[in-house]
Amino acid sequence: MFILRFLARRLFQGAIIVFLVSALIFTLLRVVPGDPVRLMAGGMAPEALIEQIAADMGLRDPIWQQFGRYIGGVVQGDLGQSFVRPANGAAVGGASFDDTTRSERAEVLALIADTAPMTLQLALLAMVFALVIAVPVGVWGGLHPGGWPDRMALYLSSLFVSLPNFWLGIVLALILSVKLQLMPAIGYKGFAYTILPALVLAIEIAPFLIRTLTVSVAGVMGQTFIDIARVRGLTRNQIVFRHALKNSSIPLLNLIGVQFSMLLGGVLVIEFIFDYPGLGLLTINAVMQRDFPLIQGIAIVTAAAFVLINIIVDLVATTIDPRLEY
Amino acid sequence: MLDGAETRTLLSVRNLSVMAGDRTILDGISFDLQPRRILSVIGESGSGKTVLARTLASWLSPPLRVSGGTVLFQGRDLLADPTHARSLSGREIAYVGGNPAGALDPTMTVGAQLVEKLRAVRPDIPAAKARDKAIQLLKAVRIPAAERRFNEYPFQYSGGMMQRAMIVDALISDPALLIADNITQPLDVTVAAQILKLMRDLNAEFSTAILFICSSLPVACDASDEVMVLHKGRVVERQTPAALIASPQHGYTYALIAELPTLWQGGPDRRRRVPATERPIMSVRGVSKAYETRGKSGKALVQAVRNADFDVFAGDNFGIVGESGCGKSSLMRLLTGLERPDGGRILFKGEDVGTASRKRLRELRREFQLVLQDPYGSLPPQSAIGAILEEPLKIHRIGTRAERRDRARAVMSEVGLHPGLYESLPTGLSAGQRQRLNVARAMILEPDLLIMDETLSALDQTEQGKLLDLFERLQARHGFTYIFISHDLTMVRQVCSRIAVMYLGEAVEVAPNDRLFFDPGHPYTRGLLSAAPTLEPRRYRPEDCLLEGEPPSPIDLPPGCAFASRCPHAFDRCRAENPALLSRGGQALAACFLNEPHEATHV
Repeated sequence: MFILRFLARRLFQGAIIVFLVSALIFTLLRVVPGDPVRLMAGGMAPEALIEQIAADMGLRDPIWQQFGRYIGGVVQGDLGQSFVRPANGAAVGGASFDDTTRSERAEVLALIADTAPMTLQLALLAMVFALVIAVPVGVWGGLHPGGWPDRMALYLSSLFVSLPNFWLGIVLALILSVKLQLMPAIGYKGFAYTILPALVLAIEIAPFLIRTLTVSVAGVMGQTFIDIARVRGLTRNQIVFRHALKNSSIPLLNLIGVQFSMLLGGVLVIEFIFDYPGLGLLTINAVMQRDFPLIQGIAIVTAAAFVLINIIVDLVATTIDPRLEY
Repeated sequence: MLDGAETRTLLSVRNLSVMAGDRTILDGISFDLQPRRILSVIGESGSGKTVLARTLASWLSPPLRVSGGTVLFQGRDLLADPTHARSLSGREIAYVGGNPAGALDPTMTVGAQLVEKLRAVRPDIPAAKARDKAIQLLKAVRIPAAERRFNEYPFQYSGGMMQRAMIVDALISDPALLIADNITQPLDVTVAAQILKLMRDLNAEFSTAILFICSSLPVACDASDEVMVLHKGRVVERQTPAALIASPQHGYTYALIAELPTLWQGGPDRRRRVPATERPIMSVRGVSKAYETRGKSGKALVQAVRNADFDVFAGDNFGIVGESGCGKSSLMRLLTGLERPDGGRILFKGEDVGTASRKRLRELRREFQLVLQDPYGSLPPQSAIGAILEEPLKIHRIGTRAERRDRARAVMSEVGLHPGLYESLPTGLSAGQRQRLNVARAMILEPDLLIMDETLSALDQTEQGKLLDLFERLQARHGFTYIFISHDLTMVRQVCSRIAVMYLGEAVEVAPNDRLFFDPGHPYTRGLLSAAPTLEPRRYRPEDCLLEGEPPSPIDLPPGCAFASRCPHAFDRCRAENPALLSRGGQALAACFLNEPHEATHV
């Protein structure tokens, strides 16, 4: 019963958040300079044609009317069509105003559906790598506060956090792909292409996870129930693995939620550097082409993902710590 | 015969010394404990009681270290063989501490942790059997609905129930020795009395020897077969409770007994001799306050204060007593205007505090001030003592800088703080000095009414006495009125002329001091008196008056008298109708149907 009420409430709140995000993005896109019709029709198109296309597409209506029409489609699962991308995916933008392919512009939903799984795959792998690095280092540091494992965790985090990701990406590509030829780097032709960008992202995220873990493990280890567990006769392994880790996992879980949402929303630089065909690359191109429907679609999908991830995180957190049932 | 006696001794401590760095904490402790006996260890804070408990539980952490002696448990030296000692802890030597709230993992059910602990020390016991044993023991310590409680989390347990669960946790492995370190300290008196009774019953049933460590002499004497007195890390005497009280051998014990406040016999008495005026300075009229929380099924109302009704006379000492959760602190927040009541009126010198504007309330606060319980959290650690004292004057824009400083210094010397401390931070002050500072801060505005919310609870016996003397002097000089909010019956007995007893948000009895202690009009008051820690012969025997169970939740209050569920005299009417506070003559009021003259029942 609690779960249903919780889900109903949170999904309702989430819907409001997504609605507000789309309204904000929609308005902002239409007040920034730059006419997308000019880009679509091509520089050579006559002014009258542009006005006609714009009027046909409803781009000269008041913003609230345009938004109403748009959100009506969104509710039915229609995120609209890209302004510039043709459905066949061949060319980008309208080279000439009487290009026949223009009428078959790509569905935004399809564009996102093609790229989102790529980003999801990248984000998941990056998170796995980050946890593989962070959990042993962080827990070990937290079990010896002030000792050398704690200092090592701190030094490692400082090192990782101060490496710029674009530089690290290039260096790793140079070493692992070019010199050692261990894995491919640029583009995407299979799972192996995900490893290198995921590694770079993992090194970017790991310091936050390490820090959170050391602090929360050290905090839990100082609590009475851990202290007294030894006198109650529990073994060190039981204390650490059954009690300390479970109790310190909540802050980590929250952080993972936030970091994962950020990974889904925009690994712009990394996807750009590695030419990885994910949401980030799609976003960059959409912005550069003033492809309003696509930008809006991406914003809505990422906002929705953010909301869902947060709901999942809170749900998992309440199963770990029943006191959090709220 | 000598051999037989040797093997029967469970624990034999010889010349045990513990050091912290180069400071001696325990100095040559020697004692024996026979199976099935309860030995109390008593001493003031810093006497080494807890260090002794931890040494025996093999739980010393640096800088503490054993510097000499032997601890023979069932004939083997624990100090010489730490591995053996470690294997005993939790199995043969069980430990229960004084902080049940944090003693179990909050993310696992109590039952799962009891099973986990039993199987950690006795891997041969199968899980199902461990579960049955845990439930059986939870029943034995009288946790209601034990099967359901087994699957609940620690945060769903009250403090008293949690302490019972920790006793189960200790006893579940059938230990030969139970070390109980201050187990009743954080509990309310009626619950603490239940726990003590329970411990004695369990001692008889499970034949566990108990080392009962405690800082209250009455509790120690109540609990045990013998009392051992620790003073500055040494055992200064060991006697049966009766002999100890009758003829203490050591000066420390003698002083301890002499300065122990009493409830019924003569003792330190600071009550006002001059009868208080009949002019109310503060009148509480039908005040109620409820807080909204999220309950199991959506929102719920916690009825913190219900229909409180009493007068405080000018120049008087008024006491408000009750156990935790009875609404004392909520009432304090209402009296001081920190929160506004949902209903009723609080009149201070005829003016309603509950409806006064913010500006007016601030002006009124010059005349009534609050002194809080926690000596550490209530002072800003980064302000100098002088600045802390001058702040109220600044807020109310009183005096020039020089005048304020003179005033601060004057108040400091009045409460017994050396004026030389003016520039220093409160960091180095003891708890007693901090409370003096809090009192000084409250009285610098020269108020008429001081509300003391558990002001003395954090202080030890001696320091409490000194502060009560101080309050008396200040009252004589400035004509203060005091409201003492406290859970401590012996304290209000010493100082208050009239006392209100609260239970679940209601004042169930308001009576003059002597009347309350010698002729209480409410069964709850009798229960409190029967549980109060004292060495005196009790006027109200726990067997007749002690309350079973714990107060119901203030969220789902039953109809009728809130006390009916624990009352030994409850009858049908109590469960249907809530008795009003009625006069019993001579300023004494009580809310109980038993006091009604029979012909007046239907008036």
